[in-house]
Amino acid sequence: MAHSTTGRRTSSHRGRGGTVLAAVVATAVLGACGGVEVRDGSDEEPAATGEPAEGSSGPLELAVLPKAVGHEFWNTVRAGAECAAELAGDVTVEWDGVTAETDVEGQVNLVQNFVTRQVDGIVYAATDSTALAPATQGALDAGIPVAMIDSGTDPQPEDVPLYATDNRAAAVEAANLLAEELGAGEHEVALIEFQPGSQTNTERVEGFTEGLAQHDNLTLVGQQPSHSDVNEARRVTEDILTANPNLAGIFAANEPSVLGAAQAVEAAGRSGEIVIIGWDAAPDEVAGLRSGQISALVVQNPFNMGYLGVKNMVEHLREGTPLESADTGVTFLTQENVDTEEAQAILEPSCDNPPVG
Amino acid sequence: MTTVDHTADVPARPGDWVRERLSNALSEFTAAAALVVLFVVLSFASPHFLTADNLFNIGAQTAVIAIIATAQTMVIITKGIDLSVGSVAALAGVVGAITVRDLGFSIWAATAVAIAVGGVAGLVNGLLVTVARIPPFIATLGTMSAARGLVFIITGAVGVYGLPESFQLLGNGEILGIPFAVVLTAVVAVGVAFLLSQTRFGQYTYAMGSNLEAARRSGIPVGRHLTAIYVLAGLLVGLGGMIAASRVNSGQPNYGIALELDVIAAAVIGGASLFGGQGRIIGTLIGAFLIALVRNGAVLLDISIHYQMVIVGLIIWAAVYFDQYRRRRLESRG
Repeated sequence: MAHSTTGRRTSSHRGRGGTVLAAVVATAVLGACGGVEVRDGSDEEPAATGEPAEGSSGPLELAVLPKAVGHEFWNTVRAGAECAAELAGDVTVEWDGVTAETDVEGQVNLVQNFVTRQVDGIVYAATDSTALAPATQGALDAGIPVAMIDSGTDPQPEDVPLYATDNRAAAVEAANLLAEELGAGEHEVALIEFQPGSQTNTERVEGFTEGLAQHDNLTLVGQQPSHSDVNEARRVTEDILTANPNLAGIFAANEPSVLGAAQAVEAAGRSGEIVIIGWDAAPDEVAGLRSGQISALVVQNPFNMGYLGVKNMVEHLREGTPLESADTGVTFLTQENVDTEEAQAILEPSCDNPPVG
Repeated sequence: MTTVDHTADVPARPGDWVRERLSNALSEFTAAAALVVLFVVLSFASPHFLTADNLFNIGAQTAVIAIIATAQTMVIITKGIDLSVGSVAALAGVVGAITVRDLGFSIWAATAVAIAVGGVAGLVNGLLVTVARIPPFIATLGTMSAARGLVFIITGAVGVYGLPESFQLLGNGEILGIPFAVVLTAVVAVGVAFLLSQTRFGQYTYAMGSNLEAARRSGIPVGRHLTAIYVLAGLLVGLGGMIAASRVNSGQPNYGIALELDVIAAAVIGGASLFGGQGRIIGTLIGAFLIALVRNGAVLLDISIHYQMVIVGLIIWAAVYFDQYRRRRLESRG
């Protein structure tokens, strides 16, 4: 779901980013003044000097757009965004999105509509990295700063940050974790991917195989996709188990894949015997973790995506802080740490105990 | 679906009826031969293929597709098509799961509810086709979208989890060592095969598919009968959706996307004709198992999903080509 390389890239351009930023903010302010509606008299002065709009503490209206509305993951992003808005004060979050992550054109239109509406900033997750690149550029051209969450664009403009999970790095860690759980000796492992061709899937698969390459005692004997369908995940896992009676470990790369794999292992009567490393933390996955069916879960931090996106955008608009990408981090959930306060903050995020920083 | 009627004179002469039966048997024979060949090849290619566990797995994996393909075959025989099966199966599955989780229903009561949900969707399809006179392709395309939307509305696009162990009975239970899902498939297949081949209901179904106008003129209450077929198909889709949910112990809002393609493929490989009037349940079962064997074999031999899809496509082409070739030869002889 996320982009992984931009974080490193942006930080190396810190100095230049500031200059570009100043220019962008200047454009933004000029754009606002040039329009029919003059919104804030205080904008004029920094515009003339080309400096960031420092200290403009008036009300801000931010558009925060998920890939699609209605999913638990995005609801958590929303909670994080609204939390940051509440803490900053006087910030309105306009939460809006298309209904299916495949509705790329719908999201392009949506971004354009918010540009037309002249919101102060746009924080969003691109449904398609290439198709949304012009939409991001369009917002910048209109003087509206943009921050990406979860998934960036390609190309990603230098002054547009990305707050996302580093899928590749986390998947490398998942491979290490699998190796650790299995211990010494030769072991056969399998990979249940979800949507071949999608960027997130590719990053997790590549990260996992990259990690696997560092462990000579692990052999990948099966790799099949679930198409994010639990039934299909179960079917392919059953068949992989049939073909490889010595299978010792499975890495399943998203929620439906994990659930299907765990079902298949359970049905084969080999629960607890086969190590399953999963991704995401749906209630049944966490239950599987507690019962020992699943050894560990890679859990992203969608709350932090929304939180950082809005927090940094507000600081950028009010204080001129440059926008810089950040890895929103993952937590490796195990039976041992699932009940700790830190894990619970990730699983049941709330603004009282935000899983950030 | 179309106004071109290729089989307008089929029911008129008794000789044609015999030829029709023969032609059905031939296309089934082709598919069955392919199934046997694949079975033998896989038995040699993978030491794990020919084991009781794997064969039961294949049976349970194929159950849902086989049951829903049976429903699809009935509809296809009437010259119709049902594109809504995947969405309706998902709707039935999540509603069934919700009744267990939130209302404390037993698995049996939930299954009854799921079957009823399928039946209602089938009734909607049937009325759209017979009363509103919308072509089946379009009517069920609408239902496909609407039912999927309802699934998302009901679930908030989040899976229905937290179900008791008993929920898995349909999908994971066993009777005398045989997966319950396989037993259900057998019961459904035998029942529908009997209905189609031994009853007046079945005769009407084939007659309407061959020539709707002739069927109407000969006094068959086509509207009511066609509606009944969509309802019956819907009931089976509801059952299939419930088995699918039970297999994964949860109601999945994304279940069954593109399922209609699998079940139509199974029916067509088994000899059903989209021009109506032709198709038998035994053929559809063979088609469903042929597809299932390809998938099972591909995973056993660790062949990429991309090749699996190409292989299924080739089988569809080959099945329909051989079918038509044999029919043409048969007809030119007659």
